[in-house]
Amino acid sequence: MACPMGLPKTNYDVTKEKMESVVVFETIQISEPRDKIFRRLGYRRGVTTVDGRIEETVDRDISYALSLIHLRGAALRLPIRDRNGSTVVCGQDIVFHSSDIAGMIRDCDELLIMGATAGSDIIDAIVRDSQEDRLTRGVVLDAVASEMADAALDWIVAYFNRTLLRDNRRVSTRRFSAGYGDFRIENQKELFDILEMSRIGVRISDRFMLIPEKSVTAIAGIYGIFDRDEKGAIH
Amino acid sequence: MSKKKGLRSLLKKKILILDGATGTELQKRGMPAGVCPETWCIEHPEVIRAVHADYREAGSDIVYTCTFGANRIKLGQYGITDVIEVNRGLADIARQAVGKKNLVAGDIGPTGRFVAPFGDLAFDDAVDVFKEQVRGLLDGGVDLFVIETMMDIQEARAALIAVKELTDTFTIVTMTYEQDGRTLNGTDPVSAVITLQSLGADAVGCNCSTGPKEMIELIKRMNPYATVPLVAKPNAGMPRLVDGQTVFTMDAEEFGIFGTTLAAGGIAMIGGCCGTNPGHIKELARVMNDRTSRKPARKSVCAVSSSRKAVVFDNKGAVAVIGERINPTGKKNLQDELRSGRMGLIREMARQQEEKKADLLDVNVGMPGIDERAVMETVVNTLSTASSLPLVIDSSDVHVIEKALRIYPGRALVNSVTGEKKKLKELLPVAATYGAMVIALPVTDRGVPASAKERTEVIERIYKEAREYGFTKDDIIVDGVVMTVSSDPGAPLETLKTVEWSARKLKCATMLGLTNVSFGMPERRWLNAAFMAMAIERGMTVVIANPDADEVMNVKAASEVLMNRDQDATAYLARFAVALEETQRSGTAGAVPRDDIAQAVLDGNREGISEKLAVALSTGLNARQLVHDVMIPAITKVGELYERKQYFLPQLIASAETMKLGLSWLEPHLRDDVSSQDNKGRILIATVQGDIHDIGKNIVALMLGNQGFDVIDLGKDVATARIITEAKRLQPQIIALSALMTTTMVAMKEIVIAARREGLDCSFMIGGAVVTESYAAEIGASYAMDGVEAVRAAELLVKKTK
Repeated sequence: MACPMGLPKTNYDVTKEKMESVVVFETIQISEPRDKIFRRLGYRRGVTTVDGRIEETVDRDISYALSLIHLRGAALRLPIRDRNGSTVVCGQDIVFHSSDIAGMIRDCDELLIMGATAGSDIIDAIVRDSQEDRLTRGVVLDAVASEMADAALDWIVAYFNRTLLRDNRRVSTRRFSAGYGDFRIENQKELFDILEMSRIGVRISDRFMLIPEKSVTAIAGIYGIFDRDEKGAIH
Repeated sequence: MSKKKGLRSLLKKKILILDGATGTELQKRGMPAGVCPETWCIEHPEVIRAVHADYREAGSDIVYTCTFGANRIKLGQYGITDVIEVNRGLADIARQAVGKKNLVAGDIGPTGRFVAPFGDLAFDDAVDVFKEQVRGLLDGGVDLFVIETMMDIQEARAALIAVKELTDTFTIVTMTYEQDGRTLNGTDPVSAVITLQSLGADAVGCNCSTGPKEMIELIKRMNPYATVPLVAKPNAGMPRLVDGQTVFTMDAEEFGIFGTTLAAGGIAMIGGCCGTNPGHIKELARVMNDRTSRKPARKSVCAVSSSRKAVVFDNKGAVAVIGERINPTGKKNLQDELRSGRMGLIREMARQQEEKKADLLDVNVGMPGIDERAVMETVVNTLSTASSLPLVIDSSDVHVIEKALRIYPGRALVNSVTGEKKKLKELLPVAATYGAMVIALPVTDRGVPASAKERTEVIERIYKEAREYGFTKDDIIVDGVVMTVSSDPGAPLETLKTVEWSARKLKCATMLGLTNVSFGMPERRWLNAAFMAMAIERGMTVVIANPDADEVMNVKAASEVLMNRDQDATAYLARFAVALEETQRSGTAGAVPRDDIAQAVLDGNREGISEKLAVALSTGLNARQLVHDVMIPAITKVGELYERKQYFLPQLIASAETMKLGLSWLEPHLRDDVSSQDNKGRILIATVQGDIHDIGKNIVALMLGNQGFDVIDLGKDVATARIITEAKRLQPQIIALSALMTTTMVAMKEIVIAARREGLDCSFMIGGAVVTESYAAEIGASYAMDGVEAVRAAELLVKKTK
């Protein structure tokens, strides 16, 4: 029902907090980070010498790996409710004990929790290659899958940065994964549950290992920013 | 005059000025962070009205409604359900602000969810979400629509289809690109422009993304393929992080200057995005000063696209290859796969054809006993993400084609439209709705005309009918219809005449389904290859063939050189580059058998290693000499090269696998020849319990085995008890353990303790991503970072034992 002057009724609660839900990315399409794959395989520019045959083989193996990798992802923004030097409380009373995380999100008011997987086909192929004396290809597939899973997290961060740009907000450049620093590997279960990672085909073992391999999770912060000119003045 | 015609007429007169950023303006004027902008604007209409008015005053011909996030999904996050009312109200406010002389564009932004096949939002659900918003904006009286800041081409398509299915209003679609020149979802600007304009967008372009300087490059890439006006709405420079803050550095004056460069690049509408304000727009309007816009570069374009790649058909360039293998006819394994709903083989076929340089993939799933429409949907969704190649939708059922075209995130090619009256009437409007290209097959209700003359008459009739639906010659590829030479010796010549007429008289792209020509003949590849060469000479643009057929593909490459369709023979030389290198390599090798073997190990070239060893044995060398004097020095050299980073991992492993293959071939000879001292020691190797990562362990096992250790690999996720039992039984000198995680690494210590408790006096060697030298020392083990280090460590441990 429109009010006089043609305007709609004005009874919205503009202070109502946004309810975020898990965003699922069924297919993340990214170009392979070829340089990173080569670097992971030990290639050093200007030092390593690779002839055309090996390079062609590795490129063919990368292409094969890419055909087997199905990158999927999930992400969720959660408001930070409370924090101190070693604890962060977010969402519906989710608590992370980690001074590394607390430090990383010092200027943030939201967490971005994200996960990605390269899928199980690539892992099956790596296992087959290892068993069938094709370890050369197996190590390439392994490196491609690792780098692609990491790149998927980069992509998720880029996606949120793109959507946050309009709100003058941004994802922190650093991110943390369970098992690093003082953010214990046991947190993997909490992240797995929060992200509902079973929706993207990931399971978790009783030792907090994500299955299939080449599945990853991470936490980053989101902070508000101001437009500033080069002299730092806020507009 | 309709609004659409009016806008088109206006665009012929001048470059239209759009508005600038809204969100930052609202924040500057008091909108708090974290609120829903749409409802805040309804609560504070005077603020958004002032923003619109300021842009109008600054010179904007068109302002965008503040409805970027006013869709069911985004508003729902704030508990708001009256989507139509919100959109109608905000459109009203915009109109009040700018009056009737300026235009109001109904702004449609992303839902925040990705659309299938890239996300979990079903395509038709996405269309419904956008339709609801479109209805509200139409109620609010918008003059045009703008679908903007799209990262996902499929979401842009869903929004565009939503608009098109409700109204014939002028619609702009702008995507947002990353610094690598692609959207986050991998779409390049050429594919985007081809996909969106063919689907019915009235203007296409980019917004947000970059500053104007970088956006020029995106516009330049789109321009040669654009049949509609181009739009640019850049940020005020590239956002830079300074002290943790995002800074847009470009002031209004500089921003305005870039407007002229963008105009020269071909844009017809320009405005600003993040970081811009009415000052930027004012300067832009001043600099543009009613400048005339350039017409789109062309009226039509003969091209198809996937979400990641465009293929432009060109009679003067390389012949495009449509991979024909995804067709269940005569392929039992594919039939089984399609019946079961599995997609592994489909993905593999796509990959192989792409690897063999196919440019498009034909998709035919017609077979008895399946729901062809549902299977086609699954296959198209699978291939849309599994392959970058554009698809050819091949079916005799118009409903199957319609479903595929609706969900395909690109511009597809339909195979095919014939001169059969019913089919023509049914299929052309469907292809036109979704902007697909069509293959025109000169077949009538009476069958395939025998002569080229009759075929050309059918083609002319199809073309005439297609024009009624808006098709141009660039939207059609004429199929010459290949009949088999074994049943009609004159048929291939009639086909070639049809191709020639279509290419040179009608001036259409042409194609052939190549392999039909040789059906029933022996050694079909030669007939296929010869026919390929002849058709290229007649002007063929596209061929349906098996890209795995080397004869056909090699003759194609050669014909393109000879017909001057491969400039500087670039593609030809690239195709045969590795073969050339191999020839040169083989020319310098092979003089001395032992050098050959050493070189094979050094190169990691397992091809022919057995033959090389056989030759060496036949010259009087014995197996033991070959291992100790040739192969082990070679693999040791490989290890050194690896440690000096001159080799990288694939080279190290390729050499190790070559060595392993050679040793395995030599084994029967070594059995007679080698004394027991050749065994350096026994190593039991395993990845510990709970850990399933084992590629590193496999590399270590391979390297140790090649160096003469007797390696017993227990595999991965091996229980402590089993390791101890096997160690007691096999009495290894070393137990080597691998773990990748902190939670599983602890098992290493347990194993050491258990082994000592059981009285085992073997050494331990550990490694893995999280394992450190200090941890190894702590539990009384040696540490090895990689396979090469493991060999050295193992040799040291065995030496100590002795």
